[in-house]
Amino acid sequence: MIRNSQASWLIAICILFAQARAYSADATTIRPFDKDSFAQIRASYTHQPLVVHIWGLTCGPCLAELPRWGRMKKQDPGMHLVLIQADEAAVDAVKAAVEHAGLAEAENWSARFELDEFERASIDASWVGDMPRTLLISADGVVTTLKGVVDPGVVMRWLAAHD
Amino acid sequence: MRLRSTPFLEPAARAGLILGLCLLMSFAARAQAEPPSEQAPPSVPAPMHEHAQSEAGGCVGTGLKCATAVTPAFDAHENLWVAWVAGGAVSVARSTDFGRSFTDATTIGQYGDLIDVGADAKPQLTIDAHGRAVVAYGVFKDKAYDAQVWISTSASIWAKEGAAFSAPRSLSSDPASQRFPVLSFAPNGRLFAAWLDKRTVALARRRGQTQAGAALAFAWSDDAGATFSSETIAQDNTCECCRLALAFDARRQPVIVFRAIFAGHERDPAVILFNSEGNPAREQRVAEDHWSIDGCPHHGPSVAVSADGALHAAWFTQGKAHQGLFYARSENRGQKFSEAMPIGNAAQQPGRPSLLALGNDIWLAWKEFDGTQISIKEQHSTDAGRHWTNPRIVAQTGHAADHPVLIAHDGAAFLSWMTRDQGYRLIKLETS
Repeated sequence: MIRNSQASWLIAICILFAQARAYSADATTIRPFDKDSFAQIRASYTHQPLVVHIWGLTCGPCLAELPRWGRMKKQDPGMHLVLIQADEAAVDAVKAAVEHAGLAEAENWSARFELDEFERASIDASWVGDMPRTLLISADGVVTTLKGVVDPGVVMRWLAAHD
Repeated sequence: MRLRSTPFLEPAARAGLILGLCLLMSFAARAQAEPPSEQAPPSVPAPMHEHAQSEAGGCVGTGLKCATAVTPAFDAHENLWVAWVAGGAVSVARSTDFGRSFTDATTIGQYGDLIDVGADAKPQLTIDAHGRAVVAYGVFKDKAYDAQVWISTSASIWAKEGAAFSAPRSLSSDPASQRFPVLSFAPNGRLFAAWLDKRTVALARRRGQTQAGAALAFAWSDDAGATFSSETIAQDNTCECCRLALAFDARRQPVIVFRAIFAGHERDPAVILFNSEGNPAREQRVAEDHWSIDGCPHHGPSVAVSADGALHAAWFTQGKAHQGLFYARSENRGQKFSEAMPIGNAAQQPGRPSLLALGNDIWLAWKEFDGTQISIKEQHSTDAGRHWTNPRIVAQTGHAADHPVLIAHDGAAFLSWMTRDQGYRLIKLETS
């Protein structure tokens, strides 16, 4: 005989099991980025240091830099790293690039089309579209913006100081 | 009356139902997780659609109304032609009523997600006095996001049977990556093309060296784009992701303003002029902005040449010395430019400039964004850029919009602009 409380537990276990299977079978998840996405991202990491890296598939320096982010993530697996691909691009191409860079398991987002003024403003009101761009967001919400290819030392020192 | 609580199902049946639901959820999760479906768990947004190109801003199809980048050109018979990219296709069409309606739409090529339409990339369209037309654009060709410049030509856009554009073909025979074509018929009837080319970067890589950016390449065609001769590298350190700007000077030779890479990753505007034999001179710096960035500004300049021979340049920068949109002029073929003049409201992301010269009248249009509205503003000068009118808003939208393009027709200046909500518009700019 199953009581209501037991039923609730059983349902919860079922949900967990189902979700775990969905995650594990396809490690490279590319989430569609729109003007509400950045608020969602910030809400997911409230009061935690967060590194947001914006890159583009048609941006040569971004592609050259991307594996460097893969190495940084490997060096510090606990780093909260969110990547946003901001060019108009096929999802397969985005997947291939992040997998090549060792970032398949990072939190990856991608624009469906080139980010417009409204979408860029949702991330950074002063961003005019240059890439790559990295936002170091402290637990108390202070944003440090790094323009262009980063020096990994700067990011790692910031993380050490903000953990 | 007291209601009696009745169990929905007997306990054994309830257990069976829960187990059944569990199995269903498990199968549903499996269906979600395994290829070809790539949906994420319910707690995150669904992954991207594989063919998102055809749905820009909720607009489905390859028609002009779904275009994200439009380039206009007038022919000698008062027709306005536009080339555009929508839904992964490059198309052209003709308007006999100054852009209010279009007919004779022709699809030049369909490339899906591989068409180069982001940031500063636009299809190019040029038409000569005899009705010969050329369309050019970039298409990505491999996983490294190398691109190729394709061109399509029409021997006569006035032909009774229609404009009949040729099947697209590669502009260059070199296998290196090529993007951002710009081309125009010179006053002498020859067709000039310039583009960003990675052949010297590839050569440096083969030698174990690193070369930043791309090269600025050019070629001439004497048969309206059917063939190009002597592809030449004019400059080796050009920003690889910013459009080129092209005009012709009083000697009927090309003038190219572009974003060069100077020492220290400084991506500042430069100009290259050509001598009377058609050979490029060494580049000259337009401004010392000192925008040092190992990255892609995705933001190219604009150029025009007035009747008095002065060169006019407008560009965007985030340099140490200047930040925002700027204008400068040169009276000595680029040897010295005037002090950079700030354009627009620096707090509203002024950028995407378009310059147009009509005699000694100079028009400058650009884009601004105040957080809720995108505006196209203009200023003009009647004395070859020495004095300017105050900025004026020409058009606005609260939705996604293309960059502004200024175009001349019959001695008047027009703004060509595509917005998601208002569609294509050709707006005459008033002088008062």
